[in-house]
Amino acid sequence: MNKLKKSLAVIATLAIASTGLVACGGDSSSTPATTTKASTTAAATTAAAGSTAAAGSTEAAGSTTAAAAPAGENKFKDDDSSKLTILAWNADDVGPMIQKFEELNPDKKGKLEYKNVGSKGQEAHEQYATYFKGGNDVDLFVMEADWILDYIDNDEYTAPITDLGFSTDDFKGNYAYTVAIGTNKNGVLKGASWQATPGAYVYNKEMAEKYLGAKTPAEMQEFVKDWDTFTATAKKLQDEGHKIAMADTLGGMWQVWQYNRKNAWADKDDNLVIDEFCKTYAELAKQYYDNGYVTKEGQWTDGWNAMGQGEDTMGFFFCTWCLGKGGQLEKTSGGAGGKNYGKFDICAGPSAWAWGGSWLGLSPKCNNGTLAHDFVKTFTVDETTMADYALFKGEFVNNPNVMKKLVDEKKNQNPALGNADQFAVLYEAASKIDMDGKITKFDSQIKDAFNKSVEKYVKGQVADYAAMENDFKKAAAQITGLNVQ
Amino acid sequence: MATAAQRRIKSVSYAKYGYLFTAPFFIVYFIFMFWPLLQTFILAFYGNGVGEKLDAAGTSINCFVGTQNFKTILVGGTDFLSMGAHDDFFQYFKNTIIIWVGNFFPQIALSLLLAVWFTDLRVKMPGKGFFKVVMYMPNIITAASVAGLFMTLVGDSKYSVLNVFLMNRGMEEPLQLATGEWSSRFIVMFIQIWMWFGNTMIMLMSGIQGINESLFEAAEIDGANSTQTFWRITFPLLKTIMVYTLLTSMIGGLQMFDIPFMFHTGNIINQYLATVAVFIYDKFHKNYMSPSYGYSAAASVILFVITSILGALVFWVQRDKDAMELAKKRRQAVKEWKRKQKRGGGFSI
Repeated sequence: MNKLKKSLAVIATLAIASTGLVACGGDSSSTPATTTKASTTAAATTAAAGSTAAAGSTEAAGSTTAAAAPAGENKFKDDDSSKLTILAWNADDVGPMIQKFEELNPDKKGKLEYKNVGSKGQEAHEQYATYFKGGNDVDLFVMEADWILDYIDNDEYTAPITDLGFSTDDFKGNYAYTVAIGTNKNGVLKGASWQATPGAYVYNKEMAEKYLGAKTPAEMQEFVKDWDTFTATAKKLQDEGHKIAMADTLGGMWQVWQYNRKNAWADKDDNLVIDEFCKTYAELAKQYYDNGYVTKEGQWTDGWNAMGQGEDTMGFFFCTWCLGKGGQLEKTSGGAGGKNYGKFDICAGPSAWAWGGSWLGLSPKCNNGTLAHDFVKTFTVDETTMADYALFKGEFVNNPNVMKKLVDEKKNQNPALGNADQFAVLYEAASKIDMDGKITKFDSQIKDAFNKSVEKYVKGQVADYAAMENDFKKAAAQITGLNVQ
Repeated sequence: MATAAQRRIKSVSYAKYGYLFTAPFFIVYFIFMFWPLLQTFILAFYGNGVGEKLDAAGTSINCFVGTQNFKTILVGGTDFLSMGAHDDFFQYFKNTIIIWVGNFFPQIALSLLLAVWFTDLRVKMPGKGFFKVVMYMPNIITAASVAGLFMTLVGDSKYSVLNVFLMNRGMEEPLQLATGEWSSRFIVMFIQIWMWFGNTMIMLMSGIQGINESLFEAAEIDGANSTQTFWRITFPLLKTIMVYTLLTSMIGGLQMFDIPFMFHTGNIINQYLATVAVFIYDKFHKNYMSPSYGYSAAASVILFVITSILGALVFWVQRDKDAMELAKKRRQAVKEWKRKQKRGGGFSI
């Protein structure tokens, strides 16, 4: 017994003492040069895995164009016993993609699968991290614009897409902004996107004619052509005694506004940037919320799913992936054959904008090189299959040539929009997308903090804008690495 | 004279098998319980950055920072980081106390009343077993389902059950109960009561059933009415079980997390509901690419200290004064006797 006690005591003491021994690397004001043991080992492992091979021959940080690398060999082996595993945060995209891929390659049937972590935004990001840490099989995974930098700037999680045997020229046909976002700080292309995500204003045709007298999308566009007009139209509806909100949710308006923000949320020294935009948006949100210009529902709620069937929401801010098969438009209008299904139409709305976007990232642990190559090629490189998928899913694929052709040929008819072609409107918006330099690694967290403060403001939980800004600063300061003055 | 074999048998100790058999538990306990526990205390004194990502003070999880984390949380500071952490912690602590007090007292009153009714010999209630089961039922439902259920019932959306009901009857604007300061707290208090009163009731019932029945019978013969029986017999004899309930509920209440955390739509947690446990979770989780373990650990330690103090306080208030008085008297008597012995001894010389 005494021995047991002693050995336990020794173990406990050693364990405590060992933490004390971990060096701090000088005083507490030390610079980022202080690396921990853990990260050094992690870097060593990845280096051993050979994923950093391409990092040496790349351009300087800050460049948005990937270094032109010639098509090399596929660096990944094929393990026939393992399926191509794609990690995603919902079932909306990768499901249909696999379906299409198997349709195009019948011999590959059953060799692909996807893991759905079933969450969104920051939460999905975290679910991924857990999945990766668990050492589970993953070959490709879907990344979101808000947090893509956490992955593509980290060689532990992502390998260059070109390692699959592509050259960077293969992605020339893509929208330039998607390539810019998929390129990391060292100029290595780490993410390939299959979609561009321009958005528009989708409205209820019958209501527009009844309350505004707008018979065509062009006429409707006159009522919503800029934000002043949009507000005036919303006010007109309220003044005439109709309880109709012009916009669906604050969340939807936020997507339009945040895209049109001039500055990035953090400057190059990681300082939070609070500009005129913050005040303008917060005041507008308050005005809309208080006056019923926007509904009080939240995005991704039952209310959002239901409001398209009522007579109290004029329109929605929807982007490409809300309009496709199984998208939000279909849901909110009651599903195929539902009450308001097909009674919507689309116009550009107050400003061009884009919402989110998805990039395929390549895991350094990929063990289905050929399949991964074919999959990425089918949806991001090959124009024929991309056009095919665009019509199949109603997806705005990431290639202006393909989209232009589809619009010109008038091939796409969206039953949820009364057989109108959303691509025609969205194609115009897509050409205006420019996210250059506006994405930071803090985005999802800063936006969460900002929206939380705005919600407090519109609900009257903070007194005025100054108090709201203060509240926002306090929340943003909690984000590690971000400086708030 | 024992033979060699006899000596050997004598020297065989079976005790070591006992240790061997219990060893797995202790090993698992030390690795998975004791060590993490200790680690929390240690982490509370270390910085918040991870790896190359340093926190605002330029420290990481490997740097000993002394009581800096505690200072930031308890005292605050002039920078936005300290102000935010400090304000949040106190706001969340306030929420915790309000929600706990608001659910504990009504809950124990309700449970006590029901427990007395269910155990009263004179109340011939039909279907006692049925009610016991039904009342315990909410406790079986997962917290996530309960939060979702109540969100559907009384959420802010104009499509929530309550709002649909009221708006069909002429109300203009949907009620915003789930985000209002007091309405949301009230809802969570209600949920907590609804979920836990059955459990508390069962516990109190077992306490009451443990009281000698002859006491109740004697009281009845003496002509005591049920109020008198309750205040003179049931309540005083229930003290131990009440203290137990109070303690467990207090510890649970201070760590309350699930319903307050989940009762919201979107990804914005209601600031009037967030508890200290939510603060702890937020600090290491929200920012999980570079988690602030230091603040989380420090907040946990603060919560631990507060819980210990309150627990000790409960014991102190509920201590058995008579028994302590007796013990004190006995000690004094012993002292007195010893002194006398000493003095007596002195005289004898």
